[in-house]
Amino acid sequence: MSDIVIKAETLGKKYVIGHQAERGSYTALRDVLMQNARTLWKKTKDLATGNPIIQGDTMEEVWALRDVSFEIRRGEAVGIIGRNGAGKSTLLKILSRITEPTTGRVTIKDRVASLLEVGTGFHPELTGRENIYLNGTILGMTRVEIKRKFDEIVAFAEIERFLDTPVKRYSSGMYVRLAFAVAAHLEPEILMVDEVLAMGDAAFQRKCLAKEGRTVLFVSHSMVW
Amino acid sequence: MSESVIILEPGRAEKNYWTDLWRYRELFLILAWRDVAVRYKQTIIGVAWAVIRPFLTVVVFTVIFGKLAGLPSDGTVPYALMVFAGMLPWYLFSTSLGEASNSLVTNANLISKVYFPRLIVPCASLVVSLIDFLISFVILAGMMLWYRFSPSPQILLLPLFIVLALLASIGPGLWITSLNVKYRDFRYVIPFIVQFGLYVSPVGFSSSVVPEKWRLLYNLNPMVGVIDGFRWCILGGNSPIYVPGFLLSLAIIAFFLYLGITRFRKMEKTFADLI
Repeated sequence: MSDIVIKAETLGKKYVIGHQAERGSYTALRDVLMQNARTLWKKTKDLATGNPIIQGDTMEEVWALRDVSFEIRRGEAVGIIGRNGAGKSTLLKILSRITEPTTGRVTIKDRVASLLEVGTGFHPELTGRENIYLNGTILGMTRVEIKRKFDEIVAFAEIERFLDTPVKRYSSGMYVRLAFAVAAHLEPEILMVDEVLAMGDAAFQRKCLAKEGRTVLFVSHSMVW
Repeated sequence: MSESVIILEPGRAEKNYWTDLWRYRELFLILAWRDVAVRYKQTIIGVAWAVIRPFLTVVVFTVIFGKLAGLPSDGTVPYALMVFAGMLPWYLFSTSLGEASNSLVTNANLISKVYFPRLIVPCASLVVSLIDFLISFVILAGMMLWYRFSPSPQILLLPLFIVLALLASIGPGLWITSLNVKYRDFRYVIPFIVQFGLYVSPVGFSSSVVPEKWRLLYNLNPMVGVIDGFRWCILGGNSPIYVPGFLLSLAIIAFFLYLGITRFRKMEKTFADLI
């Protein structure tokens, strides 16, 4: 079977982070002034050269990902397991086109939807009904699609009574429920999910991840569930 | 599988960026709708704010420039009406510029979590100021009735100048909003530009009070062209357009538009990392 939908070749992503230098317990005003003058100079230089401002005294390059290559076939469910800081979320961000890789290349076929977070773009002032449309569109559904699934989403979220209440009045449980409900009704060919959210909701897992024939890319700390 | 194949590589320019923009039109609409829906939530007088602010400014300007300073109006037009015809495009421009410049930062949660052509965000933010503009347009109609001033047929060309005012704001707006992602200093620049620009542009006075030899130079401010155009449409023959200056303003608007779009496109891919 050569039905490869995602192909990554020697992917790399580099970030530059700053470190605060260790200071002694005793600092003279003169030292503080010097330090401030130096930072101001550095920031001005950054602005002139178009570099981003990085807080801290020393810089360090961090490769969140380096030389990552893999292939995923259609219909496969793939888990990416690693500790904190292993680069899982960075990989997901690259695959979902949020950020650009520093090296390497990815080829993706099919329609991708990524869930790095549920409830992205929820606006507290808008009602549940309005937020379903807002969030659904942000996640890549069309208006017609949302309209068709609207009743299902509401039933899944169990919030019929509060459909026309602003979500800022929701309990946190209702809020999350609604967010999961929209996410669960996404129907992309490829779904990418970050673990932190999928863990929370069993109904969501059943509905979304265990669907036959869908390519799922799943990122997690552990293999326990 | 002839459907879309996406290739992600460092520095790769998307070849179908503009068609992509079209594909995401529903997102554009819903973001614009969200901004409009949220704008006057939990306020008492709501949308009346869109009317009160320009109206009071017009009153103050009429008193200061028309009465105290005694500046001449355009032809036979009542001073307040002339000020209002300039205030409309100025408010449209300044609110659009303000909204567009902050749009990326206020939508940071979207930028760092979902992909879409980022150009949608600042463009959708323009719709709010356009709606505000259309509402305050009602006052203009009221004032024209009050002064028994009948518009000339040029008023039909007004939509063109509305688009021009929007283009004039989106150019610098795109540039500043992408700089804002990297350097938040630009957030503080905008209120200053807007305040400064209100006095530099011919809002409280007619641009005909500017001496003839400086008029071309004066049109380096693109809003001079836009405001003159508005006055020409609304007030008719009383405020003729100074053509060379208007063309210069057009060129400046086009330049900023080009600059804004190219800068924005260049920085777009790094937004999620920097925001």
